[in-house]
Amino acid sequence: MIFQTALQSLLDGAMLGAIYALITLGLALVFGVMNVVNFAHGDFVMVSMYATFWVATLLAWDALATPLITFPLLFLIGIIIYYTIIRRTLRHSYVIQIAATVGLQYFLRASAQVLFQAQPKALQSSVVQGSFLVGNITVLNSRLLAAVISLVVIVLVSIFLSKTWPGRAIRAASDDLDVSSLMGVNYQRTYALSFGLGTALTAIAGGLLMTFQQVSPVMGVSFGLLSYVVLAFAGLGSTIGLLLSGVIIGSAETLTMAFWDPRARLLVIYLIFIVVLWVRPRGIFGRK
Amino acid sequence: MKLKNLFSARNILILVLLAIATVIPIVIRDDNYATLLATNVLLYAVLATAWNIIGGMGGQLDLSAGAYLGIGAFTSGTLVLRWNVTPWAGMILGGILAMGLALVVGIPLFRFKIREVWFALSSAALVEVLRVAFTMWEEVGGPTERLLPYYEWSFYHLRFNTYMPFYYILLVMLLIALLVNYWVRRTKLGYSLLALSEDEDAAEVLGVDARGSKIKALLIYAFMAGVVGGVDVCIKGNLSPKTFNGVQSTEVAILGIVGGMGITFGPMLGAILLVSARELLRARLGGGLEGLYMGVYATVLILVALFSPRGIAALLQDAYAKIQARFQRKNNYERPADTPGI
Repeated sequence: MIFQTALQSLLDGAMLGAIYALITLGLALVFGVMNVVNFAHGDFVMVSMYATFWVATLLAWDALATPLITFPLLFLIGIIIYYTIIRRTLRHSYVIQIAATVGLQYFLRASAQVLFQAQPKALQSSVVQGSFLVGNITVLNSRLLAAVISLVVIVLVSIFLSKTWPGRAIRAASDDLDVSSLMGVNYQRTYALSFGLGTALTAIAGGLLMTFQQVSPVMGVSFGLLSYVVLAFAGLGSTIGLLLSGVIIGSAETLTMAFWDPRARLLVIYLIFIVVLWVRPRGIFGRK
Repeated sequence: MKLKNLFSARNILILVLLAIATVIPIVIRDDNYATLLATNVLLYAVLATAWNIIGGMGGQLDLSAGAYLGIGAFTSGTLVLRWNVTPWAGMILGGILAMGLALVVGIPLFRFKIREVWFALSSAALVEVLRVAFTMWEEVGGPTERLLPYYEWSFYHLRFNTYMPFYYILLVMLLIALLVNYWVRRTKLGYSLLALSEDEDAAEVLGVDARGSKIKALLIYAFMAGVVGGVDVCIKGNLSPKTFNGVQSTEVAILGIVGGMGITFGPMLGAILLVSARELLRARLGGGLEGLYMGVYATVLILVALFSPRGIAALLQDAYAKIQARFQRKNNYERPADTPGI
């Protein structure tokens, strides 16, 4: 019985972790490439969830189809924010970046409150419903689909980063900005692209989250910290590491909820975070 | 010469500001809500000034003001609820316990050289960890809030039917916090911290004790935040794990940054200007659209961070230096003998 609960929690955690990894991939593009500390990343997830809600109710679409609109929308928002705010903080220390992005965080939260009010919003359940049994373990179709989509997107992004010219430019800028500039990489455009892409990736994550979760203006903070936890665990520069870290953090979360106390979820995650920082400041799977 | 220094423009300005700060609650004494807002502004001012020691001078971006504040609040609140101990004693004990927490957290953090963003994030995580821990610890915390006993006017229990006494308590604390800042800035600790905030590796090579200085700064800050927590619980009149507030903790640091890191009166200035602005905006715009005031406040924060990265206080310092330079130039024209070669 205990074994079955553990297995069930591990599976749920792994499926949740895939979405965490997707969210963190967006953060890694910003933090790893541009070395910009973005405290508003979690709030982009919140904005994406509201965008999903808005598109889904307005057009009567399924949440899973909304990234067709929200992905370009969030990309555009990301580009605008890069050129208005982030670009001006590049020369300054991380402290100013944090101050500016915390301001941005307040702004995004306030916008969500003005547009959608403080009450949580949820969508009606997605077309993908039901579950199936593997042995004694229940697999929810919606969660499984969310995990698979996250996985596919992560793979697509790593192919983009390794095989296409703009992707290579992003990696080059992340390795050595000066040399890559000499090789003809326009760093302003590269940075704008990676910030836009990092923001747009939250649109997909937001769409997936909305299939089983509700959204409220204040939930961005926890996603923000969570994505930094996964990033600290993974270290920079490894996509597989990112995925594994997401899965480990997600499983730690579900196992805590199953075996100890649902409230202790964050406690365990943050304790893991602090211990990892002490023991392996470059992350468990990090290269840089 | 001594007397002239005593009545310098700066000291007169300080006295005038202090007089204004003393008079404010008497002017608005009929409006208890306004007194609460003024008290709240002072609370942020004390926290931001205390933060300046570790965050401003030391350059360690601490985001855990709420952790130490909460420890102080729970010490003071629990003592008064269980054993009827006066919050005056609870405050001091709360400050000491907050220092204990700072030691437990600070030693490994600085031992493992956790810096910059990761220091900031782990301190932010500390607040969340404590909030959850106190929510689960039913004997002391628990999910529901505990009400402090009500008294019309009791100095022993630090409960009043107006917020005015709290205003003065916090004003005194602000003065103490400023003096501590002023003092630290002029000791070896202050110079070490400033060196660390410029370049930690270089400072260590030159013989600055990085770990020791950072721990000392963190302890001073934690003690002050803990004491403020003891007052905060009496102002609110209830004890709740929500005191471990991550948003408030981050805001303290942001006020310190946009006020002017490392400048003695910078974070105080940031807190007074911005928290007043926020509360005024809330009073004006709060009735209409929820969240609108926050949007305006956020825009102000972003603009200050982008266009005056050294802070509001640094802007004022520059302006003061310019005025002084102009006066000096005038003096030079009056004394051509002092400027040879012309």
